[in-house]
Amino acid sequence: MVTKTKFGIRYLDTIGFNADQGGRGFHLPTDMVIRDDGVIFVVSRSNTVALNIVGIQMSRLNHEFLGQIGGYGREMGDMIGPTALALDAEDNLYLADEVLQRITVYNRNGDPRSMWGTVGDGDGEFDGPSDMVFDADDNMLLVDHKNHRVQKLTKDGEYIDKFGSYGNGEGEFNLPWGIALDPDGNVCVADWRNDRIQRLTPDGEFLASYGSSGDGDGEFNRPSSVGVDSDGNIYVADWGNQRVQVLDSEGNFLVNLKGEATLGKWAVEYLDSQQDEFRARSTFEPYFEVDTDDKNEIAARIEPYFWDPVTVALDKENRSYVLETGRHRFQVYERVA
Amino acid sequence: MTLTKSKQDVALIAHLLRRAGFGATPDELDAAVEMGYEATLERLLNPVDDVELPLDLIRRYFVDQSDLRNQQACAAHWMYQLVHTKTPLREKMCLFWHRVFATGASKLIQGRVVLNQIDMFRKYGMGSFDELLLQLSKDPSMLMWLDNQDNHAHSINENYGREILELFAMGVGNYTEDDIKECARAFTGWRVVNPDYMSIKMRNNTARPYGYISWQFEYDDDDHDHGEKTLLGQTGDWNGDDAVDIICRNEATPRFIARHLYHFFVADEPGVPQWPHVEPRDPEAIQAMVDAYFESDYSIAEMLRTLFTSDFFKDESARYARIKSPAEMVVGTLRLAGGLEVPSQEAYAAAATCANMGQALLNPPSVEGWQGGEEWINTGAYLQRVNFASATLDDPEKPGVRAIIDRVKTSVGGGELTPEQLVDRLLEVLGPLETSDSTRQGLINFAAKHRDISFADDESIANAEKAIVSVVGLIVATQEYQTV
Repeated sequence: MVTKTKFGIRYLDTIGFNADQGGRGFHLPTDMVIRDDGVIFVVSRSNTVALNIVGIQMSRLNHEFLGQIGGYGREMGDMIGPTALALDAEDNLYLADEVLQRITVYNRNGDPRSMWGTVGDGDGEFDGPSDMVFDADDNMLLVDHKNHRVQKLTKDGEYIDKFGSYGNGEGEFNLPWGIALDPDGNVCVADWRNDRIQRLTPDGEFLASYGSSGDGDGEFNRPSSVGVDSDGNIYVADWGNQRVQVLDSEGNFLVNLKGEATLGKWAVEYLDSQQDEFRARSTFEPYFEVDTDDKNEIAARIEPYFWDPVTVALDKENRSYVLETGRHRFQVYERVA
Repeated sequence: MTLTKSKQDVALIAHLLRRAGFGATPDELDAAVEMGYEATLERLLNPVDDVELPLDLIRRYFVDQSDLRNQQACAAHWMYQLVHTKTPLREKMCLFWHRVFATGASKLIQGRVVLNQIDMFRKYGMGSFDELLLQLSKDPSMLMWLDNQDNHAHSINENYGREILELFAMGVGNYTEDDIKECARAFTGWRVVNPDYMSIKMRNNTARPYGYISWQFEYDDDDHDHGEKTLLGQTGDWNGDDAVDIICRNEATPRFIARHLYHFFVADEPGVPQWPHVEPRDPEAIQAMVDAYFESDYSIAEMLRTLFTSDFFKDESARYARIKSPAEMVVGTLRLAGGLEVPSQEAYAAAATCANMGQALLNPPSVEGWQGGEEWINTGAYLQRVNFASATLDDPEKPGVRAIIDRVKTSVGGGELTPEQLVDRLLEVLGPLETSDSTRQGLINFAAKHRDISFADDESIANAEKAIVSVVGLIVATQEYQTV
């Protein structure tokens, strides 16, 4: 008989701010990653009318803002359509850009070191890099999403292996998005348009599939990201359902999170500086009964709820970070006994 | 059995599809001709399932299509729907009500709520006018646009009370200043959830700290003036829904809406401010729609049925007599070309083009909307129109352009087309479009550069396709193509 660790999770904190005019915060962020020393990297994609916030923002769990790497553009180190961040074993930072169709590598200090990528569907080429993770050998597993596959590449982009093709069968994908490794080194992929999570061996052999289309427990609507904690629990950004679902190591449903954000330090300091907004906020009731079933609209109306939870990232303490594109912030949760 | 339709039948149905929609591709026109005028009209008036856009893809690749805060993103969002809709009259009525009940994203700091208003028009825009007016009065973007969150039991704000009478339902001359005050009192307590904080965020034009918060209607009975009110001669403890009922029972209301419908679908009327002083162009047409309104329990669809089945609409003199609005121009051309890629940057470009031509969707210039008519055309705007239409149709690989080429090819068979025949064939396929003699001759002179057209071999086909695309490019640059 297998004894399982009882799972519990609770809300810890919110960090973020709508920095649509630049500065401390994020704007329409698309991915995040946490370095072992606690530095949190968030990449803001933003939109065409707020380009100075496009870049990688750095912060810490204590709300310290450390600055920004890169900006909008085509020069090395810059970006136009950033989708994903990853760290290798040497703490080099990798950025995927689906518009420029390239990977940019920054050293530990955030200086751009190299960039590579060729558009196509041949070995080593890719079309729409959407997420990355490094395996035990420090090779990159890249989600080559418009080719419906995962490629294994060296850190310099040299081709090693590939798996997956278009379809909805075992080991097939339909516009996959996020990727993570479980504690055994197996690969978990958010098979976005198939509304499921697939687990495969490091060589791409199919192991299991979790979930189906829907909004019930254990069902998904366009899952965008997957993260796995040290006990093997699987955290899924159930993007289209505007929630995060946690599954146990065997893929059984554990819990749904819908978000419960509070005002973080950056938000509080902003309101302190805007007395009229601060006063009006004192009458603000964030939770109210909505008159719609539209999940996107509900997310837009109830400020503490997740709005486009695009990524779930985990740190070495098993804290989970839920990044919300629509609310320019991330919410942090911690495991409890 | 296939019925042979006369040229006049085809021209009439094409007129209906232009006015009650965004024009038709050759295949769509064939299908409508096959169904006949009445059945085509019924399908337009009774829209069923519309095309389902892949919103997941749109949101994934364009993150601001999720957020939908800025007007450009929202206009692009609506552009997809306009270009791909299979219920064009319903979408056209959204444009119609967007013009009459003009609400602008720029003041509201968020485009999403205006898009929600368009959704409401999609749902109620062809139903009963009293239901539509009630929904409008509860619409969060309208409430904030006209400051009804500041309309309190003991301190009224007259903005909404005034505009519902003046601009939305009745028109100047049909109510008094006292009616405005009484109407405003009826709408006290009609507001959005968290009105204080939402107002401040809107006033400060900020989406900080965590983005904007989409609005929801709320009625606060404690902030409603329960005193007796006299509105348009009716006295009682009226609330907002009573005010809507009183307004909709008044004959000035359908007369006002009918004139708007006539202006939008039939022929240009002067600007709304002149209506109290200038008789309608066709008082009998207005009266026919007023009668339809009262006979059908205020049904907008019945007013439209009256309009589209009338002689004043069908008459040849009504055809190509209006200047296309930028939205009609852009959407119609994109539909003729075979649609938009979804998702793509094209939707943003189309919405921006529309704005450059003078019609920024979801951001009308004022509460009075766009007057339209000749105001749509100036030198700059005309150039924009010509460039856009020519560029959009300048690609033989686009499905709509390919369909036009195939039409010509089929009609040629193994023979040839003279430049004159080519121009006439294309004018027929693109409309049928009626041009002046001088325009037609100019087109023929241009087509003559390509000599006779045939599809006999690969070289001829390449030449023919090039000729067709270039002549189409010139046809859509004509003055006639700018009319509807």
